[in-house]
Amino acid sequence: MTRSPTTLRAGLFAFVAVVACLFCAWLLFGRGRSPLQTDLLAMLPSTERHQLAEDAVERLAKASGDRMILLVGNANDDAAKDAARQLGTDLGKDAVFASVVAELPPFDLDSLVTPFLPFRFHLLTPEDRAAIAAPGFDAIAALRRRLNEPFGATVGTRLTDDPFGWTQHWLDRQPWNRANLVPEDDLLTAHRDDGSYVLVIATLAGSSYDDAVQRRALAALDHAEKSMVAGHPGTRMLRTGAIFYAAAARAGAERDTHVVGIASSLGIAALLLLVFRSVRPLLVAFLSTALGVVGAIVVTVLVFGQLHLLTLVFGAALLGEAVDYSIQYLCARANTGPTWDAQRGVRQVRPALLLALATSLLGYALLALVPFPALRQMACFAIAGMAVACASVFWLLPALLATPARKPISPGLVKLALGWQRIASGRRALVATGMLLLLAVPGWLRLGHDDDIHLLISPPPSLDMQTRTIQDIAGFGGGSQFWLVEGRDAEEVLQREEALTDRLRTWVDEGKLKGWTGISTMLPSARRQTEDLAAASAIFCRSAPVRDAVGAEASSSRVNMETGATSCRGQVRSYMVAAGFKGEAADAYEAAFPGRPFTLAGWLAMPAYTPFHYLWMSGDHGTGSIVVPQGQDDTRLLRAAAEGLPGVSLVDKPASISALFGRYRGYADVWLGGALLLVGVAFVWRYGPRAAWRVLLPPAAGIVLSVAALGYLGEPLTLFHIMALMLVLGVGANYAVFLREGEPFVVHAPGAAYAGVLLSAVTALLSFGLLALGSMPALRHFGLTLLFGIGFTALLAPLSLPAVKTQRMNKQHTPREDAR
Amino acid sequence: MRRLIALAALLCAYAAQAQAPTLVDDILVHLAQHAQVRAEFTQTRENPALAEPQVSRGDLLFVIGHGMVWHTRDPFEDNLVLTAGGTSRIDAQGRLTRVRDGNRGVSQVSGMLQSLLAGKSDEAARQFTITADGTPQRWALHFVPRQARMARVLAGITLKGDDFLQSIEVDLASGERTVIAFAGTRDAGPLTLLEAKVLGVP
Repeated sequence: MTRSPTTLRAGLFAFVAVVACLFCAWLLFGRGRSPLQTDLLAMLPSTERHQLAEDAVERLAKASGDRMILLVGNANDDAAKDAARQLGTDLGKDAVFASVVAELPPFDLDSLVTPFLPFRFHLLTPEDRAAIAAPGFDAIAALRRRLNEPFGATVGTRLTDDPFGWTQHWLDRQPWNRANLVPEDDLLTAHRDDGSYVLVIATLAGSSYDDAVQRRALAALDHAEKSMVAGHPGTRMLRTGAIFYAAAARAGAERDTHVVGIASSLGIAALLLLVFRSVRPLLVAFLSTALGVVGAIVVTVLVFGQLHLLTLVFGAALLGEAVDYSIQYLCARANTGPTWDAQRGVRQVRPALLLALATSLLGYALLALVPFPALRQMACFAIAGMAVACASVFWLLPALLATPARKPISPGLVKLALGWQRIASGRRALVATGMLLLLAVPGWLRLGHDDDIHLLISPPPSLDMQTRTIQDIAGFGGGSQFWLVEGRDAEEVLQREEALTDRLRTWVDEGKLKGWTGISTMLPSARRQTEDLAAASAIFCRSAPVRDAVGAEASSSRVNMETGATSCRGQVRSYMVAAGFKGEAADAYEAAFPGRPFTLAGWLAMPAYTPFHYLWMSGDHGTGSIVVPQGQDDTRLLRAAAEGLPGVSLVDKPASISALFGRYRGYADVWLGGALLLVGVAFVWRYGPRAAWRVLLPPAAGIVLSVAALGYLGEPLTLFHIMALMLVLGVGANYAVFLREGEPFVVHAPGAAYAGVLLSAVTALLSFGLLALGSMPALRHFGLTLLFGIGFTALLAPLSLPAVKTQRMNKQHTPREDAR
Repeated sequence: MRRLIALAALLCAYAAQAQAPTLVDDILVHLAQHAQVRAEFTQTRENPALAEPQVSRGDLLFVIGHGMVWHTRDPFEDNLVLTAGGTSRIDAQGRLTRVRDGNRGVSQVSGMLQSLLAGKSDEAARQFTITADGTPQRWALHFVPRQARMARVLAGITLKGDDFLQSIEVDLASGERTVIAFAGTRDAGPLTLLEAKVLGVP
């Protein structure tokens, strides 16, 4: 009669599992777009005060967007240009690129001048404005100077449009005139001591983070590069763009997932075969683990909408922990021998498994409290995976393991376990542990710490190097530091940005900064445009006393704009004619005054400014602008530039993240203590106050010793080490619990319970330990800490048994034994 | 422009390496032999918008690899220093102040001219088709922009000279024309303290 409900439950579970598997497959592969997230930015925590700053960070990071920025270099100028042309043509053939720009589309130099003419009297450089407004400004002398500049002819504004050169000066400040790349032979070229560099920009027909686009675009680039280098030997190609970073992250994570996943699966399989000496346990254990992983994927994708690479790698390592539950059940079966009853087996392991699950979940739940999207996802993944794997032991495995095991656990392992158990329990072991803890002190004292962003993001150095070289050669800004300017409306933002840039201008003069990119250089505030116009008016408009014959106020020298239209005739003409201009030319210039102000709408509509739209932010989270510094990355200095300016703040995402790492690393100690306390309380409830400390001792000592080991290794402590220690607590507590709970059932086979614990530990070590070989520092730290922590805890686990247990086991064992 | 001047230092090496010595190379090698030159200049600028040509006179000092001092005496007194680092003005007291907006006023074209004065041709050759006529003793170099968009603005540049550069003529498509004629060109001899300082000559 007992088998029927078991089978029914197992059937139901199997059905749900199959549905979950299908659902999982659909989530992963069935929706066209893979839910796998390769955007490194997506896993960073939000660190900024408010959403606008976060938006700005994202904006700037994606400014290069879905484009490949390539720089083709060759010592020979012609070879560089031919190679770039060939690369452009080759890439252009592939439909994965929406457009490839090597040769510039035909455009008129005039198009960078004429559109600005209507606004020319509203757009003056600060220097011109100051010069005109200065007392004693001699307009005729200024015109003469301009007319007799060395080498005279210039290719910018026409003399008649801009006799004073103001507009030319203003245009010279525009970003496209400050780039290091100049058009040559229709290519954007830079010359360096080591040769010529030509810019090629390939825009993707999809997202940089789209797997299919990524692969195809990279393959096309690889192919084009090869044929380019073959055709033009000595050519090198520098590259940057989100796609390369995403691809590098993906490649690293895929390699890690494969290494960890495959190697740990193989290792665990070999181990299980060796220990249980039968194929069925192996298959059952993998089934249970696989269901855990499937459940974890389904829940994670449902909760987060995507699966981050980091989670996937971590998930591969989780195999080793999820398999613990089935191992415990399998051990119970193997140890029971021919009298095995599947349901009784479940009752036997249930308390241990539930307690173990509770402590694990506790550890991961604490991880979920950290405001890192990546860690939250890992925690969610783990919680779901553990719960499903555990549930499968209760509901599915009894049906699959109804028959007794043919062979007990490998006697070798049991003998080994018993041997160590004898050494590692009892008073002498306690003393030895105490000595070890003393030895740990110097290790703790050697601990440093590290909160660098590169823990999470560590792109290949060669890629970073290429990006820096491109920034250097092409003169692009870049970098992750910028000033965020906020305000109620566009005008306030622009005025506040001008307050900042006025300060930056003096910094450039002092050599503290090379330059900056900001919208106010292109679009001055309305207030400043009014000032510009007022300054220009002084040249165009006669002051009132001259005009007014009936003796008006002599002091009102500044002309207001309304009367400007009537009184601003003839003056500039007289200046220009005096300087040598023809009357008609002067008339035309005068007629153009005062023009109209340049507006935000005008800025947005002007094609030349399209590449700089990312500097302007306006939307649900407020209005603001981004100012990117060039040639200075000292955070303290950059921060000082914003000091005392309302609405201006420096945003430095890497620094913010590092600060956050540091802050949470500080909190993490407290959490760890808290978690230890919680686990302790759970143990007191189960084992009573006098025995609880023994069960708690192995994980606690394991934590202390692994931290010391890190100290001795010279590994600086990071947030990720401490996160891993929480897992050590969660997993390590399991071992003490398994041993403590399992021991009464294997009185006939001393060492068998500990053998089960060792088996669990070795599988965990196999998977987490392999994480220590991964490419991402954060995961490597995770892995290393778990390697030490689990290793120490498993070795110390026998301490949790009463000292004299081998002799007086039956009397010593205490509490609520509900399994019998 | 700054780059052009900076690279001018390499000119001798480059000029010496020229494979087939053409007239262009000959002329440039010749020019490069004078590392420090003084001359009187007369700049005449004609523009359809001007009632009559603008004429300015003065003297200049050119030092290869460092830049030049452009001293206008007539119709006004002005002393400009054009170097790789930018444009500065020397005031009556001998103080140097940076002319921020002067940087590009001396445009790419004039920068190219300066590098040519320094005998450096490959930078110019990237932007212009260069042809020469005459003899190394009496020559003319013609520069026509290679890029269509530039050609729509700049019609061409002509340099004439003998042992030294004698004149520069810049023609714009708009009908504007600037002619700089040099007279009394000679090796500069020792620089004054002020000249050495502003040009950064050790």
